[in-house]
Amino acid sequence: MLLFKLAFRNIFRQRRRSLLTAMSLIGGYVLCVFSFSMSEGSYNNAITFFTQDHTGHIQIHKEDYLLRPKIHKTIEAPEELSAMLDANEEIASHTLRIFAPSIAYSDTDNTPAQVIGVDLDRERTTSTLAAKISEGSYINSEIDGEGYYSAMIGAGIANNLNIGLGDELILISQGADGSIANDIYMVGAIVGDRDSGDRATVFLPLATAQEFLSMYDAVHEVSILLEDDGRARAEAEALQELLPDLSVDPWQVVEATFYQSMQTDKQGNAVFMGIIIFIVFVGVMNTVLMSVLERTREFGVLKAIGSRPAKLTLLITLETTVLALISVLIGLLLATPLILWFTYAGFALPEPIDVGGVLMSHMTGELSLFVFGTPLLLVLGFAIVISIPAGIRAALNSPTEAMRSH
Amino acid sequence: MSAVISTTDLCRFFGDEDETLVKAVDHVSIEIERGEFTAIVGPSGSGKTTLLHLIGGLDNPTSGSVDLSGTNIAEMTGTALSDFRRDHIGFIFQAYNLIPVFSAEENIEYIMLLQGVDPAERKHRVSEMLAQVGLEGLGDRRPNKLSGGQQQRVAIARAMVSHPEIILADEPTANLDSKTGIALLDLMKELNEKHNMTFVFSTHDEKIMRRASRLIHMMDGMIELDERK
Repeated sequence: MLLFKLAFRNIFRQRRRSLLTAMSLIGGYVLCVFSFSMSEGSYNNAITFFTQDHTGHIQIHKEDYLLRPKIHKTIEAPEELSAMLDANEEIASHTLRIFAPSIAYSDTDNTPAQVIGVDLDRERTTSTLAAKISEGSYINSEIDGEGYYSAMIGAGIANNLNIGLGDELILISQGADGSIANDIYMVGAIVGDRDSGDRATVFLPLATAQEFLSMYDAVHEVSILLEDDGRARAEAEALQELLPDLSVDPWQVVEATFYQSMQTDKQGNAVFMGIIIFIVFVGVMNTVLMSVLERTREFGVLKAIGSRPAKLTLLITLETTVLALISVLIGLLLATPLILWFTYAGFALPEPIDVGGVLMSHMTGELSLFVFGTPLLLVLGFAIVISIPAGIRAALNSPTEAMRSH
Repeated sequence: MSAVISTTDLCRFFGDEDETLVKAVDHVSIEIERGEFTAIVGPSGSGKTTLLHLIGGLDNPTSGSVDLSGTNIAEMTGTALSDFRRDHIGFIFQAYNLIPVFSAEENIEYIMLLQGVDPAERKHRVSEMLAQVGLEGLGDRRPNKLSGGQQQRVAIARAMVSHPEIILADEPTANLDSKTGIALLDLMKELNEKHNMTFVFSTHDEKIMRRASRLIHMMDGMIELDERK
C-alpha cells in the first residue's frame, strides 16, 4: 500500500508533465477505441448485411459446387437434411435454393437472368428477400387462375424487358437432364432497384423451379442462419462431420474474397494503430526516463536504506502503469458516449464506400468489450514494457553514485 | 566486548593505475565495538564518507574486507546486500535524504514495510520513534514543511526504527546551525546509550567531535590517529 502510495504521489510531483503525458495517453486510447469501433462496426455491418441478405452463416453444397457450379451438382433428398437441420438447436433457420442461368424474354426484349428457386416459407425467415420487394407482394407457390406460376424479378430485368407487375415473363434455360427448359411466368413482385445485387435475378418458388429445370426434388444450396453468428466455423465443422458427402462451409469460405480483404484491411488497421501507440509511447518513455533521471539521488537513498533493486523497478513500473490506468479510465469516460452515439446513431456518408465489396452508405460503430478492452490492454501493456528499462536503470545504479547526483 | 565492525586492509581506489589514481581509502583496518559512539574525523577529501559507504555496503572495496557482526559484506551483492543493509544498518545522511512525497511518519514507516513488519506494529513503532526524537504531532508533515533539524530527526528515527545494530551517519550536522547540530548529536548520544546501538559518524566540526567516545582521525585515506576517550 505504501509503495502504491509512493507511486501515486510521484505521479503528481510534476503535475504539468504528468498532465501532458496523460493527455497523450488519453488521446491515443480514444483514437484507438474509435478506430477499432469504426473498423469492427463497418465490417460487422457488412457481414450482417450479406449473411442475412443471401449468404447465411453456413452453406451446404455438393462437393466443389462453390468452386465450379454446375446444374447437375445437386444435393439429393434435401427433406431429410432439412429435418436434421430443423432439429439442431444451434440453427435459427435454413432455406433451400437452386440456381440456373437463363435468358428472360418479354414480348419485345430479352436479357440474361439468374434463376433462383427458393423455398418461399423458409426463405422468408432466412434471408431478407421479402423485405427487398419494391413493388407487388411476396409470391406464393400456387398456380393462378390463368395457369401461371408467379415470379419475383429484379428491377434490372423489369427495366430491360420493360415489364411490370402482372406481365408475362418467358424463361429459357437448360434442364438438368440436358433438355431445353422454357416456360411462362407471371410477374408477381419486383425486387430491389436497378442498383441492387438482385437486379438480374428471377426468383421462382422452389418446386416450380425444380420442375422448370427438370431437377425433381434436388437442390443446389442450403443456406443456414445460426442462433450465434460467432459460431459459424465451429458449427460448419460439426455439420461437416455429419455430412461427409457434402461440402459445408462457413461464410468466411463462401465469401472468401470479402473475408480476405477484411482481414487484410484489419491488419493494415492494426499496423496504423501500432504506429499511433508507438508515437504516443515514445513521448511517455521520454517522460518516464526524465522522471527516473531526476530522481536518481532518491533511488540511491531508497536503495541505501534497503530497497531491493527489483522493488525500484516495480516502483517505476507501478508509477507508469498507474498513470496509464488513470489515463485509460478518463479515456474510457470520454470514449463511451462517443462510441454509444457512433453505434446507435452513426452518420450518413456523403458517398457510399466499399467495405470489402459491400457498399455502405451509413457508418455505424461497434460497442463491444473488444473495442474498449483491446486498446486498454495495449496501452497498459506498452506502459509496463517501456517502464521496465527505466526501472532496470534505476535498480542497477550504485547507491553511492546515485546519491552523488543532484 | 565484541567487534561489530571490523575492516581489514580496506582499500577503495578510483581511477586508473597511473597519475589519475586516487586512494580514497588506503589499507584501513579498524575494529569498532558494540555500543561505541565513534566519530571519523578529518578534513574534506580525507576519505571519511568513502569509509562510511564501504562499511555500510553502499560501495564495493577495491580490496580488503568489511565484517559486520561476522559477515563479510564485501563479498555480498544485489538482493542479499540490500537485505543486509535493511536489517542491520541504519543510515543518516548529511542532506537528510527523506522521500519528499512521504510524510515524516511514512518516511519512518517505509523501511519497516520493506522488512515486512505488520501494519499495527509499524504504526506503534513510528509513534514511539517520533516521541523519542521529539517530533510528536509533526508526523503528518512532509519534509518541505519541516526545518532542517526536524528533517534530520526524522532521518534519525528512520535509521533507528528497524532496530539495526549499526547506525552510520555521514556528516549529520553539516547542514545545521551549531546549536541544532549539538542538540542532534546529544539526541544521538542519548539513543546510543539507551539502545546500545553502535553509532559511527563522520564530522569535521570540533564541537561535534568532542561528544564522541572514540575519534578515528583520517588523512589521505589512511588512519592517522585512533583515540578513545
